[in-house]
Amino acid sequence: MVPGRCAIVGVGASKIGEVPGNSPLTLQVDAISDALDDAGLDVGDVDGLIVRGPDDLYCYHQRVGQRLGINPRFATTLDSGGASQALGVGLAALAIDAGWCSTVVCGYARDGWSRTRSRKLGPSTEAKSSTSMQVALVPQQQQAREFGPEYGFFGAAAMHALGATRHMHLYGTRKQDMGAVAVAFREHASRNPVAQRREPLTLDDYMSARKVVHPFNVLDCSLLTDGAGAVVVTSADRARSLARRPVYIQGVGSANNHQGWFSDEHMTTTAARPSGEQAYAAAGLGPRDIDTVQLYDCFTYMVIVQLEDYGFCAKGEGGAFVSSGALRLDGQLPANTSGGELSEGHVEGMLQIVEAVRQLRGDHPADRQVPDAETALVSGHGGNTVCHATLILSR
Amino acid sequence: MDRPPEKPLPIPAPESTPFWEAAQRRELALPFCRRCDQFFTPPAARCPLCLEDDLQWRGVSGRGQVFSYTTYHRAYHPAYRDSLPYVVALVQLEEGPRLVSNIVGCSPHDVHCDMPVEVTYEQRGRAVIPQFAPAR
Repeated sequence: MVPGRCAIVGVGASKIGEVPGNSPLTLQVDAISDALDDAGLDVGDVDGLIVRGPDDLYCYHQRVGQRLGINPRFATTLDSGGASQALGVGLAALAIDAGWCSTVVCGYARDGWSRTRSRKLGPSTEAKSSTSMQVALVPQQQQAREFGPEYGFFGAAAMHALGATRHMHLYGTRKQDMGAVAVAFREHASRNPVAQRREPLTLDDYMSARKVVHPFNVLDCSLLTDGAGAVVVTSADRARSLARRPVYIQGVGSANNHQGWFSDEHMTTTAARPSGEQAYAAAGLGPRDIDTVQLYDCFTYMVIVQLEDYGFCAKGEGGAFVSSGALRLDGQLPANTSGGELSEGHVEGMLQIVEAVRQLRGDHPADRQVPDAETALVSGHGGNTVCHATLILSR
Repeated sequence: MDRPPEKPLPIPAPESTPFWEAAQRRELALPFCRRCDQFFTPPAARCPLCLEDDLQWRGVSGRGQVFSYTTYHRAYHPAYRDSLPYVVALVQLEEGPRLVSNIVGCSPHDVHCDMPVEVTYEQRGRAVIPQFAPAR
């Protein structure tokens, strides 16, 4: 894929946070409508559709396409968890380059807050509602039947916590370092009018937060969010005739540690490293060329390890790097500048893509804008904790 | 007061059945590929390295080290509420493969990476669940 041949020309989102009474499909179409308005395009212009939705809806892309009133030439639903969204934009560029379609919508929607909240409040015995909480926190399709439940081993938080514990053991990473991530991203969210969590957060607040699974407390964990995001991808040629300033796709990377999170050193050197190397090579750029990052922040630990794996600091130095203040808007490497999944809302990586585009367009007021942002790196991570995708975008 | 719900039992996949049958005998066993000369997890019908399907289930010593661990402070399932805080660990067996299990027989505060452990067995209903405790 030649760098700069495709561009993101529209971005959009639904209402984010606590949005009861809306299915993920409804939120998805809200976000797509917003993105098409942003691009100055009509639904009739869309001939490609790459989405991810709830695991319990078969052929989700057909359902989205139906609500858009389109019969897209190219459409698929991705199944790599939080790597799907960045991967989807990469696949859109490939499909456009191959001549399969000309204008692709990429999107993701979830009802994370409603799905948990409504079950907790439903009339039930304490036992039933607690079982429901487990079910709500861990989608049924992802629940193991052995080597898990019989050990009380449930949930994405514990999977990632095992990585964090190992990283602390190998490299001396501290709780305060994870807290620095939470504090920085909350500061960014406090300036974002639509962020789900905006109240001030200090490192002391973080250190005294309620424990979940060691070493994580509640502030190490991404939010439960209802919301959707969407972007529109087209060729650079087409982009030049449209209203908004295009944001070019310069490099795409992907990598999948399918041997498993528990295999080799995958918990402390992740698939971000090979994915990043591929994206940098495709773009002809390196870490020093990146002005802002929008990283997949399902947990604070994942930000620390990705910063190492993307080459922004040496392996094992991620804790010191974040504690130096590097991630702040006025820091060396402004990160997750709309608040991330930790404070803006967890829409499985989609809002990171939207925010990267807004930063590179220079759309934000001064108190939210990375000065002279020309190049951004976006990451996606998920799919049984081992799939990864990278986008390098530029003005 | 109602009895708390019971902790789940494993629901074995066909390829995992020998693991749970060995546990019934208070033994720890894993599939072994003779061509690659190594054990592998998770249990599968073919070796993931060479795809050989002529596998042998062999016993392992039950000794290993904590590769990593986490401590639950919140119950994700009502049956575990009374067990809080409890430890889930990834144990590196001395033969090489890694297994998820609980660390029992000590305080969660005493668990650390590289801690030597050995297998112990918990009877739970009709099932036997391998666990790990600090090595004596």
